[in-house]
Amino acid sequence: MKILDRGSSLLWLLFSLYAGIESFRLGIGTPTNPGMGFTAFGASGLLGILSFILFWQSMVRKGEATAPPVFSGSSWSKVVLVLIAILLYAFVMPGVGYLLGTFLLMSFLFWILSPGRVWRVLAYSFLTTTITYYVFAKLLNAQLPEGLLRF
Amino acid sequence: MGVIESLLLGFKVVLDPTNILFCFIGVVIGTLVGVLPGIGPVGAMALLLPATFKASPESSIIMLAGIYYGAMYGGSTTSILVNIPGEAASVVTCLDGYQMARQGRAGPALGIAAIGSFIAGTLSVVGVMLVANPLAEAALRFGPPEYFALMCSGLVILTYLAQGSVLKALMMALVGLLLGSVGLDIITGLPRFTFGVNELTDGVGIIPLAVGLFGISEVLINVEKTLETEILRTEITNVWPSLKDWAAAKWAVLRGSIIGFFLGTLPGGGAILSSFVSYAVEKKISKHPEQFGKGAIEGVAAPESANNAAAGGSLIPLLSLGIPPNVVMAMLFSALIIHGIQPGPLLIKNNPNLFWGLVASMYVGNALLLLLNLPLVGMWVQVLKVPSRVLFPLILLFCLIGAYSVNNLIFDLYLMIFFGGLGYLMRKFGYEAAPLVLAFVIGPVLEQALRQSLLISAGSLLIFVTRPISAVALGIAFLLLLSNLLPYFKKYRAEYEGFEE
Repeated sequence: MKILDRGSSLLWLLFSLYAGIESFRLGIGTPTNPGMGFTAFGASGLLGILSFILFWQSMVRKGEATAPPVFSGSSWSKVVLVLIAILLYAFVMPGVGYLLGTFLLMSFLFWILSPGRVWRVLAYSFLTTTITYYVFAKLLNAQLPEGLLRF
Repeated sequence: MGVIESLLLGFKVVLDPTNILFCFIGVVIGTLVGVLPGIGPVGAMALLLPATFKASPESSIIMLAGIYYGAMYGGSTTSILVNIPGEAASVVTCLDGYQMARQGRAGPALGIAAIGSFIAGTLSVVGVMLVANPLAEAALRFGPPEYFALMCSGLVILTYLAQGSVLKALMMALVGLLLGSVGLDIITGLPRFTFGVNELTDGVGIIPLAVGLFGISEVLINVEKTLETEILRTEITNVWPSLKDWAAAKWAVLRGSIIGFFLGTLPGGGAILSSFVSYAVEKKISKHPEQFGKGAIEGVAAPESANNAAAGGSLIPLLSLGIPPNVVMAMLFSALIIHGIQPGPLLIKNNPNLFWGLVASMYVGNALLLLLNLPLVGMWVQVLKVPSRVLFPLILLFCLIGAYSVNNLIFDLYLMIFFGGLGYLMRKFGYEAAPLVLAFVIGPVLEQALRQSLLISAGSLLIFVTRPISAVALGIAFLLLLSNLLPYFKKYRAEYEGFEE
């Protein structure tokens, strides 16, 4: 965890610096008349201090010379693919609509989590898409994007 | 109005067919999310919050609270039968519950968990009824400094009780405060940290944030493992505990209920802490502590009673003071705000239907849960057999629909995916999401209290230490923070003494 802490603490330190600068630009004000950036400046300052402490701890802590295998041994590539798939879904859904977009997304997800017979993946996706559409759009009146299919 | 008249009013509210239906849906969904490893009560509440927009505030809060205490019931089923806790408050139930199941005593284990939960849930409702109103009346005398101090101490206690590093939990609370400051400034009404994005003018939505951090990240962690759970093949014939079991468990249920209720009321406390503390107490005072971990029925009765009592207890600071003590209550806090109800000391006075309706719904909900969890335990076991390859894509889809349908904004989907990715990395790097979400929810209220206090005192910070309640609350928070440094002082002192010798 030591090397992971070193990396993550540096990221939070950068984040706190950025938030601190932005809060300062907004105006900190004075204790008698706190400005828009007053609380955020205080919070980012404290975050910066704590991030630095974590970084310092990771430098002086004994043991663990190498980073533990956070991603090795796990199917992290599936995680990346799932994240890309849902990002693409969010991007194309307004254009292609809920039905087509969801059918494609679910087919991909069912396939990637358990590659098997194509007809089973397609059947699961079809059922999921139509049932959720009926429940959310028809029963609960959710405004799902119509897209190309116009229904 | 006296307590009895108020309670009758509550029953009138909850026995309305719509409200009783919402209560039933809440406890069923709660049991379901408790049974299924993957999505916990926070994720489920965030997901279902948009579905309550068209319902009345009473129906919505009754349903959302039902999800919470329903999850406490359901969580024990997976702990006992699969040795995987359905949610964090049932972790400790695995120790003896699974051992009982392996010895062919799954029935009594499930039975005592459900009956203990029922007794504890009912006792905690009595506690809410008796404590919430007087506390709310006392809280009317609280000013901004008291609120600021109580919220600060709540955040510090939550981070102190974090499962991992306290330092990282504190960092996450600060990140939550920063995220909570995105949007319009509470005093000037001008936008801040919006980076010119119109969708951020109203701030970061609680639903994309909570669903991303708790729902999406949970699915991503499970996608990585893709392990199928193995259900213990055991006959669940008789779920009623024997007289011998009762004799062994009755005091554990009572002690668990009391511990759970009081720890639930503490800022930062809640079901998880209560279950661990009650298990430790039972083991300590037991005449046969060596049996704990090997199938002692007290080891199931105490934590299961405690986590249900805590579910009721944690409603007190939310409904009386307007301070959510933990992340689940932060979701209920958001739901109340969305429905135009300000949680705080005036809630009980201004919205008696909502408060007493909620109290009465917990009686009804606990009775429904007993029926759902004892005769129908076989059905929940079947639910456990749904393969993860089907379950996780479905949870992901519900998260996407839930986040989108709040404002019909694709931007919310992007936000949720971002927080899902962030939540996944946070878990990998040992950061907890609960302090972040709690700080995010109370952040705007905390900021308002701080700025108002400074305006009242003309910029003097002494206002926080000259008023007794805020001084005590901040003192506790300070001592807790200081206690984290003690091990370092001891270590350096030992090193220094070694060097001198």
